[in-house]
Amino acid sequence: MTDHHTDGLIKKRTWLARALDRQLLTRRGFALTASVTVAVLILIIWSLLREGSGFFSTYQRELTIYRQAGLEYCDHVNKVVVGHEEIASGLNRALAAEVATVSAAARARRDAAVMATSAVEEAAVLSREALTAALAAESPDAATIGRIRAEVIAGQRKAAERIQLPDILTADEMQALREQLTAMQPDAEGPPALVQSLTAAAAEQDAAAREKFAALGTAAEEFEAALEPVATLHEAMKEIAIATKEAATQQHMAEDAKEKLLKAAGETTNAANADIFNKDAAQYDTAAIDFAARIQPLLAKQPEYEAVLPSYTAAARKAIAALPAESETKSARDLVGKAKDHFATHIAYADESAAQMKAWKWDEPIPKLKAGTHFLFGGDWITNSSWQDFYGVVPLFTGSLLIALTALLIAMPFSVGAAIYTNQFAGPREQAIIKPAIEFIQAIPSVVLGFIGISVLGDLIKSVSNVEWLQWIPGFPVQERLNIFNAGCLLALMAVPTIYSLAEDAINNVPRSFSEASEALGATKLQTVFRVVVPTASSGILAAMLLGLGRIFGETMVVLLVAGNRLSIPDFSDGPGVVFQPAGTMTGIIAQELGEVSQGSSHWQALFMVGILLFFVSLIINFAARTLVRRFAVARI
Amino acid sequence: MKSVLLMAAAALAMAVNSNAQSIRVRGSDTLGAKLVPQLAESFKKKAGGASFDIAAEGSSTAFTNLAAGTAEIGMSSRKVKDDERTFCKTKGVFIKEHALAWDMIAVVVNKNNPVAGLTKKQIAGIFTGAIKDWSEVGGTPGPISIYTRNTSSGTYKDWMTLAMGNKNYAAGSQKLAGNEQIASEVAGNKNGIGYVGLAYTGSKGLKAVPVGGVAPVAANVDGYPYSRPTFLYTNGDPQGKVKEFIDFCKSGEGQAVVQRVGFVSK
Repeated sequence: MTDHHTDGLIKKRTWLARALDRQLLTRRGFALTASVTVAVLILIIWSLLREGSGFFSTYQRELTIYRQAGLEYCDHVNKVVVGHEEIASGLNRALAAEVATVSAAARARRDAAVMATSAVEEAAVLSREALTAALAAESPDAATIGRIRAEVIAGQRKAAERIQLPDILTADEMQALREQLTAMQPDAEGPPALVQSLTAAAAEQDAAAREKFAALGTAAEEFEAALEPVATLHEAMKEIAIATKEAATQQHMAEDAKEKLLKAAGETTNAANADIFNKDAAQYDTAAIDFAARIQPLLAKQPEYEAVLPSYTAAARKAIAALPAESETKSARDLVGKAKDHFATHIAYADESAAQMKAWKWDEPIPKLKAGTHFLFGGDWITNSSWQDFYGVVPLFTGSLLIALTALLIAMPFSVGAAIYTNQFAGPREQAIIKPAIEFIQAIPSVVLGFIGISVLGDLIKSVSNVEWLQWIPGFPVQERLNIFNAGCLLALMAVPTIYSLAEDAINNVPRSFSEASEALGATKLQTVFRVVVPTASSGILAAMLLGLGRIFGETMVVLLVAGNRLSIPDFSDGPGVVFQPAGTMTGIIAQELGEVSQGSSHWQALFMVGILLFFVSLIINFAARTLVRRFAVARI
Repeated sequence: MKSVLLMAAAALAMAVNSNAQSIRVRGSDTLGAKLVPQLAESFKKKAGGASFDIAAEGSSTAFTNLAAGTAEIGMSSRKVKDDERTFCKTKGVFIKEHALAWDMIAVVVNKNNPVAGLTKKQIAGIFTGAIKDWSEVGGTPGPISIYTRNTSSGTYKDWMTLAMGNKNYAAGSQKLAGNEQIASEVAGNKNGIGYVGLAYTGSKGLKAVPVGGVAPVAANVDGYPYSRPTFLYTNGDPQGKVKEFIDFCKSGEGQAVVQRVGFVSK
């Protein structure tokens, strides 16, 4: 920098250093790393788009085959079958509820005895297995068999002495059962005598109950039987449609394989292999499928359907009309009422179905955007099906969204509260503990959290939900331990550090002059914090929450392990209790299925489309957060 | 670019392989969780000098790995599909099938579930969603929770064919990653039902249900409706250690292991 320099203080530059400008070199180096980062990002987007872009045409083709092969046609009938099953299930449940009023006690006594017996048998299960093995051996050894037999009996005796019997059994019965269990032989014919007599008693009670509720029983039975001809016809129709679809898939595969084989033959250097490839390729039959001819036998079933349908609807109407007006139990009354409601819509659809099928055209083209709308708004994600695969992202999207919102709702008070406290109220020593502690949460690997969710949190939620005085909470008692709430709790824990750090930054960025002015005007600390500091930082806090949401939305491992992977739209009829249902997520489905699908198939492309959608969701969330911060940023004074 | 990378990976793998003589086995979770590792252990004890690298993520992965040259042996709980065979062929891999053992898929319910048996029709109804409540099949009232394998599993598809008349699974079914997870969820939910390989029926808290009166035990392999063969696949005729291992699996000693682990030798 100065002219004055002394030898020895400043090193002489070597020729290499003179030839290279260090500053320029450093700058270029950093520019290179920055551009590599951008290039990688572009490469990722490009490869996502490349793999996913084929999806719409592939899916469109599959949907076309779905129509041209007549699967869509069969699904009209399927809807009738499914509607019928729904109602039949309701009626059977109603019957079971009624029968239980008479035979529940007898059944409980039977079940108690059966459970006790199997528990005693279970206690000696290892020696029992050894005994079976010894008896099955090629040269049975009487001494060994005798020894193991004794072991089994001893094990069972020990268990029988210890076993707790429920007090729905009378004292005499308990004693008898205990004696019989103690004396149980490993190769006895049938269960102990008391179990047999209790089973017989329960069966007798059941029969009596069925007699009593014969009206409901016969109606349910007749309703179930009414579908028989329709179901048989449906199966026959399905066979025709699936054969056409199979042929179409085979043909497409043959084309594909032929192409691949010929290509491989052209590329390989091994002459013998090339010969084999060419010969194999020649074997494939790639003649186009004649859908017009193949659909005829299916359409020929139409008169048959029109013939069986009226007899079905008549029989079903008769059965439903024969349902008894009065029910003994409330649940039976509800179920029968619901079945009647369902029946009204079901029968209306059934009556209409024949006309709908008549109007259906196999060669009507599928609208161009169908594949896209089906993907974005379709409610079914069904893959590896034997009938038809559907890629509708709605169940996955709602699952992801519900989990993310639950997590955000839980994380918000903790992280924002902690941020306000550390920044405004905590002393330096507290700050030195709280900040690193919260940020440390980020270091817990998500797979570990997932494991905690399976092994600890799930059971905890389940046992808490069984507590008597908490039953007012919607969704309780919880049946599934892997559910949205479980995943939400763990993800909240993961989002807390992100939201906390960013919110704390936002509060820290509020100019000191604001709070000083507030305090100068005589406001208390609390007033300053809640009327001045937090409102000023609110856009930053909101942005922090949005970025936290982004973090949760993209998280994979926890939701894969803990959310339960039920690939259907959650049932919102439960209100907020919906959070105790299992759900599938967009990230989870990619992690679970991508490793195993064959490359380039529609399923593979669909998963990439889900990836692209995830990418856009993250992009939107980040964009929203940035806009928020920029628009409402406070000018520094 | 991709092929260069693949070749480099293959070369690297070969270099590693020639040093350690490691046999890479990929594929079915049903086979790879217990049976094949145990067979490998017994084989090592007997022959020595071989080491195994086993990963089990579903039958489909057997063929993708064989085709990519990243496995010497593929395990599958189903037969190879035509398109998989062709795909392998185009990569210069001519796969050969070796029957290994029979597996029985058992229907499991919670130990405290009083249901003592189900018919085939009831099982089809439960898994397709036509039957929704335990009271419909004579159990204690409560909504049925269905646990299935995920869609990439060979068992998922097999079960559809064997038990469900090729209908779709109920929309409410939960797709879990492996037999172990199904076993633990069913053990933890008194309204749960699922299916597992025979080897897993002994898990705690579970009860295997007889189907149409036939209990899922090895002796009933012919009468039980949900029995299926399982296979090992190799690239062409096996050579060297791989051949020795396959021969060992088929031998009396290997089949003894098969039975010990809970599969059926036939």
